[in-house]
Amino acid sequence: MRRPQQIRKYIVYAVYLLLITTVQVTFRGWLNLYGIRPDMMFVFVVLSAYMFGFYDGIVVGALVGIIRDYFSAPTVTGLDGTVTNALGIGLFVMVAAAAYGSAFFTVRVERNFILAFLSVVTATLLYKSAGHLLIFIWSHIAPGLSYNMELSQVLLKSILPQILMNFIVAIPLYLLLRFAGPYKGGVNPVLVDEKRKGDQAWLTM
Amino acid sequence: MRRLLTNKRFLTIVSLLIILAVIVLGSLPGSPLNAVLKPIGAIVNPIQKVVKYTGNTISGFWAALTDGMAIRNENEQLRAEIAELQYELNQNEEAAIRYEELQEAFHIREVFSNYDIFGASVLSRDSDEWFSVIRAGVGNSDGIYLEQGQSLAVVDVRMNLVGRVIEVNEDDSDILMLLHEGFQVSGKVNAVNGATFIVTGDASLKQQGLCLVTGIDPDTIPNVGDEIVTSGDGGLFPQGIPIGVIESVDTSDELNITATLRPYSDIADINDIFIMVPFEEENTFEQVASEVYETTTADT
Repeated sequence: MRRPQQIRKYIVYAVYLLLITTVQVTFRGWLNLYGIRPDMMFVFVVLSAYMFGFYDGIVVGALVGIIRDYFSAPTVTGLDGTVTNALGIGLFVMVAAAAYGSAFFTVRVERNFILAFLSVVTATLLYKSAGHLLIFIWSHIAPGLSYNMELSQVLLKSILPQILMNFIVAIPLYLLLRFAGPYKGGVNPVLVDEKRKGDQAWLTM
Repeated sequence: MRRLLTNKRFLTIVSLLIILAVIVLGSLPGSPLNAVLKPIGAIVNPIQKVVKYTGNTISGFWAALTDGMAIRNENEQLRAEIAELQYELNQNEEAAIRYEELQEAFHIREVFSNYDIFGASVLSRDSDEWFSVIRAGVGNSDGIYLEQGQSLAVVDVRMNLVGRVIEVNEDDSDILMLLHEGFQVSGKVNAVNGATFIVTGDASLKQQGLCLVTGIDPDTIPNVGDEIVTSGDGGLFPQGIPIGVIESVDTSDELNITATLRPYSDIADINDIFIMVPFEEENTFEQVASEVYETTTADT
């Protein structure tokens, strides 16, 4: 990759990274369902990983995760009932999301916009299901943690609204990454080279 | 080895294991890992301020365009109200002077008079259902410190409970909101000898903006509409901070009567908060004298 292209890549990633993370934690926005808002950080990471490959995804995921932990760390209720910030969980979630996104049907099927949205939907489903499961288990261990959600509530008031919100926000984010993204033409040339070498079918859109 | 280091699955697993180790280390008290995030703040805070300012300017401009007519009508109504209030104010000023005289005479202590109140604006909000700590722009540099086991109450502009401080950093504080499932406070009906119970955040209720009330004695079941304030039990929060009103009561299980509470504070749209920091009262002359007496008698 030539130097101007690399500079463009870093600048575009930096701008999107800082804008998306700060907008997410600064404005509540009008788009929400049962209090669930679109998770732009998560969608950005999954789409970057799906569209531009493993290495881009992991770096973007790690940076977004660190900023997420800084701005709004999750809290964990300890075994003694004290509630503390748990740094690193955002980092873990975002790196895992990036790894998932980069591996989502990219080996045998060409990257395309339908699978890009499907990667966001399935990643959200996995993230929310795993989160609820962990909190459910932890609420039976840690005192003072109230978790009374029934399965229907988990599905209808948390997982499905989050999937819908993330899907909606994935549309503009996909278009941004595709047409005003870090790579000219929305294609990472490294992935094209990998395809030519026959090292997996990391194809283009 | 080289092949292993370029294997994506291997890299993913190793990265996630390292991050898990970081999470465990970071959860230890006094962990230096917490300081690692400080430089991040130096980069992202100014950008967030610019984004916030730009967003507020745009929404302000848009509101100015759309609300022009409504504001004009409201303005006329408010002018009429101001005239009425001015009349009431003149009467109340007289009453206030009388109250101060009485307060002095009877040594009445104002509610929360032994608390310093630190105002701050909300810097960043929750990013999703679980990443829900909010940051307020007041910290160690403003004179706020949080000791082990201490809890600082956070209230809104009307002194309604909003949450509590769980961590204080150099320039900002992390606040656990009232609706969070890890939040607990002892509350009571705002009446003489009002029944006490536990008010907690709840995962299923927080999306409706409600809290769960537990620990209700079958003989003292609260009524819908009862005002709930902090009871002061446990010493974490001062007594008498308004929390909200009882919205519904579930008596279907006599052994586990619960109720839902709607907080007064509009937590979703809160912009400014106030942190209540207790301060040590200065020793009275009698206390100092008795301490001096005790030390001198101990020496002799």
